[in-house]
Amino acid sequence: MSTRGILSRSGAMLVAVLAGCQSMTPPPAAAPAAAAPAWQQGRNPEQAGSPLAPHANKMTATPAAEVPVANLRLPPGFKAEVWASGIPGARAMARTENGKVYVGTRAIGRVYELTDSGTQRTSRVVVDKLNQPSGVAYANGSLYVMAIDKMLRYDGIANNPNAQPVDMTAAFNLPKEQHHNWKYIAFGPDGKLYVPFGAPCNICEPPPEYAQIRRYNADGSGMEVIARGVRNTQGFNWHPQTQELWFTDHGRDWMGDDGPADELNRMTKVGLNFGFPYCHAQGIADRDFPRAGACDGVTLPVQTMGPHAAVMGVHFYTGDMFPAEYKNALFVARKGSWNRTQKFGYDVVIVRTDGQGSNPLVRPFMTGFLDPINDSFSGRPTYFLQLPDGSLLISDEQLGAIYRVSYAR
Amino acid sequence: MPVERWRRAAVAGSLLLLVAGAARAEPAAETLALCTACHGPGGNATFPLTPSIAGQPKVFIENQLVLVREGLRDIPVMKDAMARLTDEQIVDLARYFAAQPFMPRPLAVQPERQRLGAELARKALCGTCHLSTFVGQQQVPRLAGQDEAYLMQAMRQFRDHAGPGRDTIMSASLYGLTDADLANLAHYLASYRVTP
Repeated sequence: MSTRGILSRSGAMLVAVLAGCQSMTPPPAAAPAAAAPAWQQGRNPEQAGSPLAPHANKMTATPAAEVPVANLRLPPGFKAEVWASGIPGARAMARTENGKVYVGTRAIGRVYELTDSGTQRTSRVVVDKLNQPSGVAYANGSLYVMAIDKMLRYDGIANNPNAQPVDMTAAFNLPKEQHHNWKYIAFGPDGKLYVPFGAPCNICEPPPEYAQIRRYNADGSGMEVIARGVRNTQGFNWHPQTQELWFTDHGRDWMGDDGPADELNRMTKVGLNFGFPYCHAQGIADRDFPRAGACDGVTLPVQTMGPHAAVMGVHFYTGDMFPAEYKNALFVARKGSWNRTQKFGYDVVIVRTDGQGSNPLVRPFMTGFLDPINDSFSGRPTYFLQLPDGSLLISDEQLGAIYRVSYAR
Repeated sequence: MPVERWRRAAVAGSLLLLVAGAARAEPAAETLALCTACHGPGGNATFPLTPSIAGQPKVFIENQLVLVREGLRDIPVMKDAMARLTDEQIVDLARYFAAQPFMPRPLAVQPERQRLGAELARKALCGTCHLSTFVGQQQVPRLAGQDEAYLMQAMRQFRDHAGPGRDTIMSASLYGLTDADLANLAHYLASYRVTP
C-alpha cells in the first residue's frame, strides 16, 4: 500500500472513531439487583484501610531474553531452561501422544497450541475470546477446553489444526457465579473428568452447587459430587500407587497474615467434607461463620502449604530422569500470596510422604521468583507437565513462559 | 532548535536507549491521533462517557488494550484501530499515556450525593484496590476525577454483565447496589480531588 493509501485509510478511521465517540449513549437502565449476598466482603472493619489487593497479571508477551531464568535456583544436578515463551497468561498444560501441548489461560481468554520441533517451540492460538479458559485436558484423541461458562471439545485436533469445536456446555450444566469458577480439569484413572466448582466468594455459606469437586463422564453425563467443603482447588493429581485423588485448596483471605494456610488434601473416598466455610487448614474455626463443632466430620489436610500461598498445580513424579527419591514425590506450585503483608510462596516445593500421607516433608525445589528484600516477584509458577523423557515442564503465568527442568548427574 | 544542539540531543537520546537496553519507542503520531480523537489531548477526555486515560497505571492500560484487541471487552469504536496493534505497540501506548498529567473532569458538586457516595465507597472498600485516594495502581484504574457518566456506565456493566474481560472481584463488590447507589458512588469518585 502506498503512503498515501495508509494515510487516507487512517484518516477515514479517525473520522469513524470521532463520529463513534461523540455519539456514545448510555445503556438502558437495568432492573434493580437483588440484595447483596453474604460473601461480598469478609474483612474486619479494622482491615478496611488495608492496601492488600490481588497482583496484576501481565497480558502482553515477554520476550524469551527477558525471562530471568538465570535467577531460578534448583537442587544440585537440576537445570531450568526457557522451553516456551511469548504466551501471556500460560497456566495448565495438556499433551497429546504426538507431542502437541495445549495451554489454558484466564483473563486473556486464549488457549495456545505449542508445537515442538525438538529444538524450539512455536505457538498458535487455538481459540480466543473465552471467559477464562483455564481448564485443558486431553483424552482419547480429543482436547477438552473448559471456561467459566463453556465447555468445548476438539476431536482429532492433534493432527487436524482446523478441527472445529463441539460445544458441550449444556451437558455440564455450569452454575452462573463466576468468582473462583475458573477451572482446573483432568481425567482420572477411572476415565472420568474431574471438575471443581469453587466458592463464589472469599468466605460465605455458598449455594449448594459450589465449593465442591465433581466428576462427569467425558460427554457430561453421570455427574457426581465427590467432595464438598472445598473452597477453591486449582490443581489435583492421582497417586501413582493408590490411585487416590490429591488436591490443593486455597485458604480464605482476611483472617491475618499467618493463615489459615492453604491445604494439600487427599481424597480417600467419595463424599468427604473438607471443611469450608466453617473449618480451615488443620482445624481452624472460621471467624465470620462460627459454629459449634466446626471441624466435626471434616477431613483435615495431609499437609498445610503456607499462608495465602496460592497452591496451584500438583504432580506426582513418575519419570526416570530425576533421582530415585523423586519417584512418587509430589511437586506443588505455589503461585504466591497477595493477602499478606510480606509476600509468601512464589516457588515450587516438593512434598515427600507415602501413599497414606504419613510424615510429610516439604522442601523447596524451585526458588528465585521472589525477592524477599524488596518484597517483589519476577514470576509465578503454576502448573506441571511431565514429558516422556522424565523432564518436567513448569508454567509461569506471570511471564507467559514455560520452563523445562531436567536432571543430569 | 539549532542543528548542532539538536544533533547532540539526538545522540544523547540514542545513548540513553542503548543504556536502557530495550526499544522504548514513542507511539506513532498516527496511532496517538486515533486514541486522542476520543480520549482527548494527552488522554484527558472531554466527551461524556469517554474515560480519561492520562495518568492511568501503565499495567491497567496495557491490560485493557489487550482485552479490547482480543474482543473480550467489546468497544466497537476501538475495534478497528486496536486490531492492528502488536503487544509492543500496546506497551508503548500504555507507557505514554501513563506518563501524561491527569486533569480531573469539571462537574457541579452535590454535597449530599457526595456524602452518600463516600459512605458507599467506604462500605464497598473501593480504596483497597483503587487506593485510598482512588488514584489506582498496577492493573487497577484511577477513579478520582474520572467522567461521572462513564463511571456509572462501567459500574453498571460490572454489576449486571460480569463476563469476559471483567474482573470477578469487581463484579462481586457491586452486587446488590442499586442504580441510585451507583450514581452516588460515581458522583463521589468523579468529584474526588487528589491534593498534591
